[in-house]
Amino acid sequence: MFRDNRDFMAALRSSGDLLEIEKEVHWDLELGAVSRLACEKDGPAVWFKRVADYPEDETVFANPMATWRRVAVAFGMKPHAPVKEIYAEYERREGRLIPPVTVEKAPCKEIVQRGGDIDLFAFPAPMLHDGDGGRYLGTWDLAVSRDPETNWVNWGMYRFMVYDSLHLTGFPRPTSHLGKVFQDHYVPKKKAMPVALVIGADPLSHFAAAATYHIGGEEGALAGGLMGAPLELVRCEASDLLVPAQCEIVIEGEVLPDCVALEGPYGEYPGYRTGEMGNGILFRTTAVTHRKSPILTVDATGYRDDSSTITALTGAIAIKRRLERHGVPVLDVNVPRDGAVHTAVIAVKYGGRQVAREILETLTSRRALLSKILLVEPDVDIFDLGQVLHAFSTKCHPVHGIHAVQYEGRANTLTPCYSQGERAAQKGATVLYDCTWPGEWSREWEVPVKATFATIFPASIRQKVLSQWRAYGFKE
Amino acid sequence: MASKNEPRVWETFLRRPGDLKEEVEIPLVIRDLNPGRKKYALRHVLAIVSRKAEEIPQMDELRVRTVVGVELPGSWGIRILEELPVELPGRPYQDFFQALKAWVADQKLDRERQKKYE
Repeated sequence: MFRDNRDFMAALRSSGDLLEIEKEVHWDLELGAVSRLACEKDGPAVWFKRVADYPEDETVFANPMATWRRVAVAFGMKPHAPVKEIYAEYERREGRLIPPVTVEKAPCKEIVQRGGDIDLFAFPAPMLHDGDGGRYLGTWDLAVSRDPETNWVNWGMYRFMVYDSLHLTGFPRPTSHLGKVFQDHYVPKKKAMPVALVIGADPLSHFAAAATYHIGGEEGALAGGLMGAPLELVRCEASDLLVPAQCEIVIEGEVLPDCVALEGPYGEYPGYRTGEMGNGILFRTTAVTHRKSPILTVDATGYRDDSSTITALTGAIAIKRRLERHGVPVLDVNVPRDGAVHTAVIAVKYGGRQVAREILETLTSRRALLSKILLVEPDVDIFDLGQVLHAFSTKCHPVHGIHAVQYEGRANTLTPCYSQGERAAQKGATVLYDCTWPGEWSREWEVPVKATFATIFPASIRQKVLSQWRAYGFKE
Repeated sequence: MASKNEPRVWETFLRRPGDLKEEVEIPLVIRDLNPGRKKYALRHVLAIVSRKAEEIPQMDELRVRTVVGVELPGSWGIRILEELPVELPGRPYQDFFQALKAWVADQKLDRERQKKYE
């Protein structure tokens, strides 16, 4: 497994999944536009080796895991591994936690800056999209924070925008783990919350930070489990938080409990800039440490960004686990890449009104990130979206097959179809399309027979046809 | 980089149409559009803005974007009167623009009280 971001980049170079751009590229929109188009074309990750206004030893690495090939490489699998196998591999490793170890010395401490030396503009943070609220230093990051009551350490991937030389503003959603701990345990006591923003760690640490993981779960141990070895952490300069020792850059600071900040708007993972602006949190930098020749990592957010693979995958497995715990007859879950982490396809042993209601309640009770759910039976391969669309089109009753729930205070504020008012109140809805046959229909008398080769012919005919297929003249 | 005497270019974001009141002192968050490493640095200021930039001397240029980041056509003039703190008191996750207005109103009230006792 990869000890650091640089080893991962070398592996991507070997597999043909890294483009190194020697030509100077400007941090102001050009870098964002190149990275965005690379995502939309399913292109390679990009290493920008000369960034305008910045010295040659400050470079930018964009879109680390925005394709399934790069996720497979990060997991040490063959680059062309099927998505279904990557899901299974994550599921296998996710249950195996390996706690991190602490080290005294670390590459991320090669340069240490405190006090007046701090200048957040010293890093080539890109203006990613025209009309964003600012330059985002934190996109492919890992924010470390701690619950002061339980000492639980949370890692999350949250966006952070450069405000001035000393301040960042961020929008970890109020319902996110960081947002919740901050509001529950720091704001009421008017205590600043120490946070370390880690940039350019090894790929699976970022994967763990972005993962949909339960409250109280230590993403550092998850990262170790995914890597198959304990992760090395080192203590911060200005707080006792621990950060991955091999990372590129650490911005240490504190989130202020009695300040509000302008953050956004920002072109986000659903593929839109929704106008969420002006209600962020303010981060005052206390120290900056980094490697020599630091490589700033960037996720060019939007359609088919890094969340379309890693957030989708971990979200799907988290949904499966939750439904299993709640007794739903779930078989498998896919959060399709083009669904912008808003749609889940859930295969169940059987559907019906009661199962639909249980699923909706379970998946929207604390925070509701999904807005569309398609429920299918085991005959549908949930990773084949053609089959899913066929089931939706033919089996979902336009009246009885649609179940919806509305909620307030826990909706996904980045969902583009919500109005500005709904977003402000975190008001939203989730709809479930039941694409399963009603349980009360007789399999012998009422359930229509699927007219596919696999289902509408006797086994003997199928075998004959398959064995003679080339003899008939077909090439494939 | 613009010289000290040249007008500078700033940009602000509005939540709704009509939020930019002309020819009265208003608190604003503006960002620097002048080229260089510090482009897009943000400031909180008390300022006067006007559509008739040419009528008010020593005005900088102000561009305006909407809440979804769309740039409105044309530009305004802006004269910055006072720098406001970046660490703006308020409750995290609450409306920044309201907090900015409230802070300015509180400061004004404090000044009036001080004058009264002087």
